[in-house]
Amino acid sequence: MSVEVRNLIKKFGNFTALDNVSLKVESGELVALLGPSGSGKTTLLRIIAGLEFPDNPEATVAYYGEDVTRVSASHRKAGFAFQHYALFRHMSVFENIAFGLRVRPAATRPSDAEIRQRVDKLLKLIQLEPLAKRFPSQLSGGQRQRVALARALAVEPKVLLLDEPFGALDAKVRKELRRWLRQLHDEIHITTLFVTHDQEEALEVADRVAILRDGRIEQIGTPEEIYDHPASPFVYDFLGNVNLFSGRVKDGGVVIGETEFELPGKTGEVNAAAVAFVRPHDIRITREPSGTKTFPARVIRSNAAGPVANLELARLDGGDSFTVQLSKELFQELQPKAGEQVYVELKNVRVFSDDYSI
Amino acid sequence: MSAIHLPSRQGNSRHSTTEPAWVRRSLIAIALLFIGAFLVVPLASVFAQAFAKGAGYYWQAITEPLAVASIKLTLLTAAVAVPLNCVFGVAAAWAIAKFEFRGKSLLLTAIDLPFSISPVISGLIYVLVFGGQGWLGLYRDADHPWFPWFQTWLNDHDIKIIYAVPGIILATIFVTFPFVARELIPLMQAQGRSEEEAARVLGASGWQTFWRVTLPNIKWGLLYGIILCNARAMGEFGAVSVVSGHIRGETNTIPLHVEVLYDGYDFAGAFAVASVLTFLALVTLAVKTWVEHKNAALNAATENS
Repeated sequence: MSVEVRNLIKKFGNFTALDNVSLKVESGELVALLGPSGSGKTTLLRIIAGLEFPDNPEATVAYYGEDVTRVSASHRKAGFAFQHYALFRHMSVFENIAFGLRVRPAATRPSDAEIRQRVDKLLKLIQLEPLAKRFPSQLSGGQRQRVALARALAVEPKVLLLDEPFGALDAKVRKELRRWLRQLHDEIHITTLFVTHDQEEALEVADRVAILRDGRIEQIGTPEEIYDHPASPFVYDFLGNVNLFSGRVKDGGVVIGETEFELPGKTGEVNAAAVAFVRPHDIRITREPSGTKTFPARVIRSNAAGPVANLELARLDGGDSFTVQLSKELFQELQPKAGEQVYVELKNVRVFSDDYSI
Repeated sequence: MSAIHLPSRQGNSRHSTTEPAWVRRSLIAIALLFIGAFLVVPLASVFAQAFAKGAGYYWQAITEPLAVASIKLTLLTAAVAVPLNCVFGVAAAWAIAKFEFRGKSLLLTAIDLPFSISPVISGLIYVLVFGGQGWLGLYRDADHPWFPWFQTWLNDHDIKIIYAVPGIILATIFVTFPFVARELIPLMQAQGRSEEEAARVLGASGWQTFWRVTLPNIKWGLLYGIILCNARAMGEFGAVSVVSGHIRGETNTIPLHVEVLYDGYDFAGAFAVASVLTFLALVTLAVKTWVEHKNAALNAATENS
């Protein structure tokens, strides 16, 4: 176990940022802390770094089994990259990276030659060797973030903590950098926690994803686990677009309108009101009804720009509107136009208890 | 942030915010006239008056022992008040900009106090506290002092604050306190805490963080604050006048010495000494302009970030 936190509680005035959070991160793991703003993910990361301290005395933070709860940030030996990089603006790229080595007490400080060697190695790692003499203001956002990472890595941290590392970058650079981060992690295998509000980023990069909501960890698991088996409607909704259908649970299936759909994970409740969750890409559309498994709907809007086509439909019975994702081929085949009637089949329906609304 | 270069239109292009020529010219003329009448002419007349009785008299006026004493006292006052206010100002700005605590807005108001009250009142405050009839003076004669050793010490050393150099320095510190803090607070607030946090996580101690990260970031702002503080410390009249007692050769600063000469109808002498103060002010102004220039260049660089 390389990072373990237990029973963290943190309040800012009346706002509860963390509500009894416990988390274990294995050695060498890359874990994403995913959640909407105000969910407490950054506070959790800052407490792990020692930049904030928990309110309750029984809370603990441990690095590799060593209790560091009361240890200050400067003695924890964590690497931290800030959302807005926080590079030292009056220092060159080289000096920024060297900072953590230069401030060491004389006894453990490497010689100038060693520092130069290590910084050069890191510059190579972040592919910014020619820019060593530049100042932060002369770099692009992506370059600054890489310098910030190199600076954090220079002190050979026990854990690497990244706060929204790609949050301030544009979409393209973001994608490049997160792939680069994954590669880097595969190379140096340092235990890493990173905070993000972007579910795509978390699912793509992380070994495991912890989903936070209102200061609690709602679910933690591998990207596949949490995407395929969300533990709550919140997780379901947060990890991608989802359609809600109100209906009734009955004999191991769910009845929407007059159509019954199978439930893969059966619920014990019989004949109770329920909300069914279906992903837009788990909905099939046909021109003709197929037995009792489909229900009719009207096309409200269709948009085929992008890699997949998006349709907005409305149920004929009741009028709930929902979205459907179709492959381009299927879209070409069906050619649905606004106002037309189609038949809808739902797959992978999930039901959570009815009083839970999102 | 990348600069957007619009094709600049040459020739007779008029921007929507450009006024007709006659408006521009008359506005500039008014401004120049005003500056000339209220700033340049009086400034020139200081030097003209100073040399009214010739260079010999000028030299004599500024080298006579009383004038030299006042120049020395002014420099001493600035030399004590400015570094102290530099330390206080940085500490106050640091506390206000980087930390949340109860009574922060009260502290902020307190820092502005010397700006908002008349310098004469500032001087009177010290007279009331430290003067012969004030708290400290009465304490020396008190029958039941709180700290007998303190009373003994005061009497043994015959500590005088009012009508003495310590009072002048205290009053100057009070009047010039806001300059450094006021200059630094917005700067430090804008810079935020994250660079310091980054330094801490990288293993820097509190002092290392201050010397290597905080101070370099506020360097130019601090220098600018020090210059303003120095200008005021040397030129302060009101507060110093109240606490000084006008003992010639002992508690007269340059501004007070000028007043004494002027009241004695020695106009050429008064202006000669005044010209020394004016010269010091001009030097300060030149340094200030240079710092501002540096500062602007630096801001432009970070602006691009």
